[in-house]
Amino acid sequence: MYVRSRRRPMGAAMSPMLARSLFAALYVLYPLGCILQLGPDTSDDLQLLSVIGLLMVAASFLAFAVLAGSSFQRQAQEPDAKLDERELAQRNRAAYRAFAVLAGIVALALLYMDLRMDFADRIPLWAPTDQAHWNALFWGAIILGLTLPAAFLAWEKEPPLED
Amino acid sequence: MSRKDLAEALGVNPQTVGYLERGDYAPSVELALKIANVFGAPVEMVFSLKPFASLAQIIGNKGEA
Repeated sequence: MYVRSRRRPMGAAMSPMLARSLFAALYVLYPLGCILQLGPDTSDDLQLLSVIGLLMVAASFLAFAVLAGSSFQRQAQEPDAKLDERELAQRNRAAYRAFAVLAGIVALALLYMDLRMDFADRIPLWAPTDQAHWNALFWGAIILGLTLPAAFLAWEKEPPLED
Repeated sequence: MSRKDLAEALGVNPQTVGYLERGDYAPSVELALKIANVFGAPVEMVFSLKPFASLAQIIGNKGEA
């Protein structure tokens, strides 16, 4: 997802360090926030953890909103005709890496669910049970799928300085 | 000629010109020919498989001769 602004059609210029920090915050804060918010049984003494989890999820969405208008997200999401050959080559490399990571995550998730079924009577492994769990997983997958190619672009070699 | 001017003449992102200058990106034949055309020079004067000698080296060699 790339949010184009009229003032900056090439996306908001952002240093790779800032973009990397925002991507790292997004990928750490969202799952941790979901675990804190949904993971433990929310009895009265755990209300604070739930609020902290919610704040972490909100912070991760803020990072996502900032990244959505960045030049990295533009390069990852623009139609081919709007990119030059160097941008396309970098984008193709990043998309391939993102696909490999996503495929690996899906394979690991399937392996986990398979093992959970095998050991269900001996080790009680966690599995999503209610709508809130599936909602968190769904939005996590959407965020990862939309941002991972741009994250790999942010970890490419530093772009040259402007004139 | 600034990086932005050259990028506009070539129809590429100014950062791409920076990547080319730095030697971090090898252009396609089409882009190499366009660059040579902008400078009105044969393509082998702009791109080479061997690194070009620096200006300091060229001046130094002339001084020795």
